[in-house]
Amino acid sequence: MRALLGHVDRLLRGHSTRREDLLEGRVGGASSTFATAGLVLGAIYGAFMGVFAAMRATNPSWAQLGATMVKVPLLFLLTLVVTFPSLYVFSALSNSRLRGPDTLRLLLAAVTVNLALLASFGPVTGFFTLSTDSYPFLVALNVVFFAISGFAGLAFLRRALATLFEAPREPPPREAPVPDADDAPRLAGLVSPPPPSLPPIPPRRVAPPEDPGRRVFTIWTVTYCIVGAQMAWILRPFIGTPGQEFAFFRPRGSNFFEALWHTLQRLVH
Amino acid sequence: MPWAKLALLVACGGFVYGAAMGSFGVRALQALFSATKVPILLSAATLVCLPNFYVVNTLLGLRDDFAAACRGIFAAQATLAITLAALAPVTLLVYVSSDDYDLAILSNGVAFLIGTIAGQVTLQRHYRALIAANPRHRIGRFAWVVLYVFVAIQLAWVLRPFVGSLSIPTRFFREDAWSNAYVVVIDAVGRALGGSYYGR
Repeated sequence: MRALLGHVDRLLRGHSTRREDLLEGRVGGASSTFATAGLVLGAIYGAFMGVFAAMRATNPSWAQLGATMVKVPLLFLLTLVVTFPSLYVFSALSNSRLRGPDTLRLLLAAVTVNLALLASFGPVTGFFTLSTDSYPFLVALNVVFFAISGFAGLAFLRRALATLFEAPREPPPREAPVPDADDAPRLAGLVSPPPPSLPPIPPRRVAPPEDPGRRVFTIWTVTYCIVGAQMAWILRPFIGTPGQEFAFFRPRGSNFFEALWHTLQRLVH
Repeated sequence: MPWAKLALLVACGGFVYGAAMGSFGVRALQALFSATKVPILLSAATLVCLPNFYVVNTLLGLRDDFAAACRGIFAAQATLAITLAALAPVTLLVYVSSDDYDLAILSNGVAFLIGTIAGQVTLQRHYRALIAANPRHRIGRFAWVVLYVFVAIQLAWVLRPFVGSLSIPTRFFREDAWSNAYVVVIDAVGRALGGSYYGR
């Protein structure tokens, strides 16, 4: 456990994504370590999140607490399992420096960063769970904490991708030899002034260089978020609506986007 | 200043002010309860938010300065406690001059406001050097203040009553202690706007 926390600490300090390593297409650390750390950190937050179901006045459910401890890490890791092939292909198409295993390590590292920040919010979630019986408040609080940690994970990934897709450093251009002052009169005779009749050359428009790092980041984020939202929908309930019996999964049907659409419609009408 | 001394200052300052705060209507038991609760209020919110502060600082690459940042936070808490203790006689003077419960609440609110400002001054003094070395400390401090205030408001709500209304018998917690300050505010706003009871 100590060793695992040490790995997480090094990851948070940025030791796994050092600039010189990334430029050589390497990500420090082992995939299995990141995955284990993700599972542990997710379970810690899941425990705090599930306390609500265990402590509520009507039909308290310890089973829900256990289920949430399993579900929170699974949400992130299963989403990665589903999306990894497409994420890898997108990045390889953009000529990334990372090979398959390193791409997986980088994505797992970002998920671990996300879960580490989420786990650090755990005591706050636990405190509010103990001191409130309002289910909507807890849902909103968890959404905010998931969003903040998600942004931190994305910021970590964005920084790593920016380094990965940096243009290779070119040697400095060779400077033209500066003519000596003694040569100036001789050179003045050789260079004739341009004829005045020629029209001025319009400046050529240079297209801004495309940033493949940004493109890969956008595609990765969109893919991961869409799959993640649906995965969260499949895995629900996380907190456990008061009054409902414990169920590991809610009945299958509908999807996240349909539910969101219906909610928006209800808001409008 | 050593860490233990800072903790002792928070405990003593909080105890002194709590005792003064709870002596509204001269009730020894309420004074004792409040004297216990104020140090808890000052320290528990810090403990709840500390794990997040640690991770945020590490993520921002400020881990080497973590001890200095923590010292700034504890020093700010100690300043708040000392300022409150210094204002205790003023609070007692207000209690002696009037039996008005609302005035008692208001004077305590003002005392906490002054204490908080004093605490922020200390925090700023500690952070000035840190920010000069690395401007990212600004983000770390902002994240800390937002989360701390969010938790402290709820903690203060849970630990009520501090002053103790004279019309309610003295108790350590209110009967509805385990409710949520933010939900109560949303309910109140909803009722004021004529909406239905919202939040539960």
